[in-house]
Amino acid sequence: MIQVRGLTKSIHTGTYRVDILKGIDLEIPRAQFAAIMGPSGSGKSTLLGLLAGLDSPTSGQIILDGEDITSLSEDRMAQLRGRKIGFVFQSYHLIPTLTAEENVLLPMELAGNDHGGRKRARELLDRVGLADRRGHYPVQLSGGEQQRVALARAFALQPPILLADEPTGNLDSATGQVVLDLMLALNREQGTTLVMVTHEESIAVCADRRIILRDGLVVSQ
Amino acid sequence: MSTALPWSTAFRIAWREMHASRAKFLFVIVAVAVGVGSLTGVRGFSRSFRRMLLRDARTLMAADLSARVFGVPTAEQQAVFDNLAARGVRRTWITETVTMASSAANPDPLLVSVKAVDPSAYPFYGEVQLSPPHALRDALNAQTVVVTDDLLLRLNVKAGDTLRIGGQDFRIAGVIVSEPDRMTGTLNVGPRVMITREGLDRTGLISLGSRASERFLFRLPATGTPSAVEVRHILKSALPEATIADYTETHPIITRGLDRSTTFLSLIGLIALVIGAMGVGSAMHSHLQQRLDSIAVMKCVGGRSGQVIRIYTVQTLLLGLGGGLLGVVLGTAVSAVFPSLLAQYFTIPATAVVDAWPALQGVAIACLVTLLFTLPPLLGIRAIRPAKIFRRDMEPEVTARHRRWFSSETRPALLAGAAILIGTGLVAATLTDGGLRLALRTGMYFTLALAAGVAALSAAAWLLLRAVRLFLRHAPARLPSTLRQGIANLYRPGNQAQAAVVALGVGVMFTLAVFLIQNGLLAQIRTSAPPGTPNVFLLDIPGPARQAVAEVIRRQPGVEQAPDVTGAVAARITAVDGTPIDQLPLRDWGRRFLRTRSVTEMADKPADMQILSGAWWAAGDHTPQVAVTDEAAHILNLKAGSTVDWMIWNHAIRTRIAAIQRTESLRMAARFEFIFNPGQLDNLPAVYYGSARVRPAAVAPLQRVLYQQFPTVTVINMADVMQTVEGVVDRISMVVRFISAFTILAGAIMVASSVAGSRFRRMREVVILKTLGATRGRIAGIFSVEFLVLGAVAGLMGSLLASGFAALILKFLMEINPRFDLITTCVTMLLAALIAAAAGWAASFRILGRKPLEILREE
Repeated sequence: MIQVRGLTKSIHTGTYRVDILKGIDLEIPRAQFAAIMGPSGSGKSTLLGLLAGLDSPTSGQIILDGEDITSLSEDRMAQLRGRKIGFVFQSYHLIPTLTAEENVLLPMELAGNDHGGRKRARELLDRVGLADRRGHYPVQLSGGEQQRVALARAFALQPPILLADEPTGNLDSATGQVVLDLMLALNREQGTTLVMVTHEESIAVCADRRIILRDGLVVSQ
Repeated sequence: MSTALPWSTAFRIAWREMHASRAKFLFVIVAVAVGVGSLTGVRGFSRSFRRMLLRDARTLMAADLSARVFGVPTAEQQAVFDNLAARGVRRTWITETVTMASSAANPDPLLVSVKAVDPSAYPFYGEVQLSPPHALRDALNAQTVVVTDDLLLRLNVKAGDTLRIGGQDFRIAGVIVSEPDRMTGTLNVGPRVMITREGLDRTGLISLGSRASERFLFRLPATGTPSAVEVRHILKSALPEATIADYTETHPIITRGLDRSTTFLSLIGLIALVIGAMGVGSAMHSHLQQRLDSIAVMKCVGGRSGQVIRIYTVQTLLLGLGGGLLGVVLGTAVSAVFPSLLAQYFTIPATAVVDAWPALQGVAIACLVTLLFTLPPLLGIRAIRPAKIFRRDMEPEVTARHRRWFSSETRPALLAGAAILIGTGLVAATLTDGGLRLALRTGMYFTLALAAGVAALSAAAWLLLRAVRLFLRHAPARLPSTLRQGIANLYRPGNQAQAAVVALGVGVMFTLAVFLIQNGLLAQIRTSAPPGTPNVFLLDIPGPARQAVAEVIRRQPGVEQAPDVTGAVAARITAVDGTPIDQLPLRDWGRRFLRTRSVTEMADKPADMQILSGAWWAAGDHTPQVAVTDEAAHILNLKAGSTVDWMIWNHAIRTRIAAIQRTESLRMAARFEFIFNPGQLDNLPAVYYGSARVRPAAVAPLQRVLYQQFPTVTVINMADVMQTVEGVVDRISMVVRFISAFTILAGAIMVASSVAGSRFRRMREVVILKTLGATRGRIAGIFSVEFLVLGAVAGLMGSLLASGFAALILKFLMEINPRFDLITTCVTMLLAALIAAAAGWAASFRILGRKPLEILREE
């Protein structure tokens, strides 16, 4: 499902060059739950961002579902994201000016298949237990609730791949557990490939596989 | 899956977002509305002000157009008149002639100037005031005349008595107190006798070859079509010999005053546009700045740049439309309120009606300007990487230094900049009254000025940042830390010091330019109609009696300015640069140079005379030289150094043109088109003219006294006409002052708001500083230093640019000599710094009071 070959990423800040990823090779099969772990600054989030095509690598290849995404234009990439990838962020990143339901509706609208979108948005909110909060704005929701809206949004287009960047990192453990359970349940229901960056051992134990990064290199899988 | 986002979906998403944060969007809409409102307000008010001025100007002609003809119209010409009449152009016929009148009480006949009018039509504008008060149409019939006061005096008659003209008796039905078009009359010698056409026919004075001046006055229909230009053109081709004038040409002061104030007011309209656009631009910029995260998120969930741009374009247009509509309402309210603010000085008819075209124009301009100024951030959407939300605080990967000037990163900004300049130029062009060429030229100059200003300001800002860096590197270590940090803030990564200097500087530049141009214009107006401008003119003063006449006038009550007596000699031009005068292509009023002209001589240049080219003669230089008015020089194609041959009392004399001059004040000397240097006119028979400034009510007694002592001296009373002229000039000054003040205020607000726009950027900084233990006072101190430096640099650059542009505009558009004003520049710099600091404080005040965590949680 996901193939990564010789992936590197460097950032130039004027006078300095920082090598964040120094050559990553990975293969994650369909419907697997892979947890990416590693100390702060090891390149976890950068790897995830590159997998989602949120940034372009310095060298190397990423193949999603048979399609090489490294050479895609920004717009083709966005289209591909809409079709194939759901994303959950540590700090939710809901659009503050949209209600919960509208946030979930947005990817469907952008993909141009918002026909019946509201119905699906409601079903998804219902699924994450927020049926009665659908008219609320992000500021009116707690962290856990916001993250559940973000989950519903990520699943809106039934993407084959779900990428999550410490989705429970900002939540207390009880709420985090609720969100995690929900994510795993949705993952199983939809047969999604799940790649999650996490620090927490308790989450990592649920994963099919652990990928540990250190200084921009995979040290164990 | 469809590829393009339908407009309807884009609209829905854009609308939803606007609906959700109404308060923030309301702020943007209000910013747009203030800009558009000041533009439409100033324009609307200028229009009604100009209408009022033109109405006053029309009074001086009593018509919209006048055609002076030399004979009775032919059948074809009559057909043209009838055709115009069918289109709503009213017409009346005036005949003026000079004849003798007598009365039973005084057998000596008196030379009078007779004016035959149709009292049912004349005057089209203004009013002939009679004493005792009567309407002209009631007083005047085939058996009656109305006369000026000096006739009563000279013929020893009173109202109700009989006056004998051309062997016919007329009853004096009233005394003329004021006659609106007295100044434009031609044969103004002797007292005025106004008569009906039937009355004139009865006298038999007008026969073939008699000395009469025929004029037709026209009044255009209120609908505006046909226009003055069109009618003028029609008349010109139908009456090729006629002298045609319109109401803007009644008096040089009015003509120039109108020209200059029109230029000034349209300039102000343009400046109001830029100031408004700046407001819109900074509001939209900070609005989209806040949307960056949302845009990145949209891209994360599959939004393509094109889609996101479409959504925000729709939103921009909605905001522009909303702001435009609100702005037009605001502008209409403003132009309705302006007149009442000035009501204690004079009345301008308020135009509270929304004119459809300017309103539509206002809304269209609002949308266009909003879109233009939102282009940079809109195009920048492409460059927003979704990864932004991961690495929010990281610098862009490549710093500006390594960037090529036209790379994929700078291209959107450069393109947007070009679009803004061209677009603003085009809007400026559409706001310019007059022909297409003039409009395009104005637009181009405007664009160039804006581009030059922005370029100079950017360069200044760049230099400033270099200087600041250098200063800090070499500054003593014990520099107060607040000062140090404040200055360091200027080049801190992410600080938009350069952009802020440009925005502030443009604001200062335009605002100060308005002030400087206004000052130049007002100074000019003051010198062209200074207090004490003569309003009574004396003709035919006998040479030996001139001292005595002056003395009599000086002793009269109500005389405000001592009389000024000048001698004049009759002279005729025979050739210009060797070409006989009758071979020059002279037309219309230019043909006056074929006849004898009055010339005078002067040793010293009058203080209010402006030399346009050449030089005034040195004392003791007796080679024959002449200083000529620019108007005569233009008609005769004279340059400094040209030769003019004269015939003066049978002496042929060749003169060199020493100088082309212009005198805008109404001195006696200003009435001479040709001034000789001393020594040329000695011992030639001279006639003396005089002028004085007399209170209008004191003119009649003065006339009486002069008549008793010097019966041959003719007194021309222009008091009421001068009152109208001075009234117009006063109003121009007043309105120029008022509108400038308004624009300057708007400019100050916009300057403040461009600083306030950085508010959201500052939140994070405040939080971090507070977390690190900085007190609010300390943070305010750091910001103040930053703002003061920014404001001072922007103020300095803005003032220098403003001085430059104001000088150019005064010199070339208004023909006024500019002066550089150091004090104004310094004061402006200080003010700009203070306004920037105050606005910065005001904008940061609320942030300073908030708890850090509150803001961090919103991140």
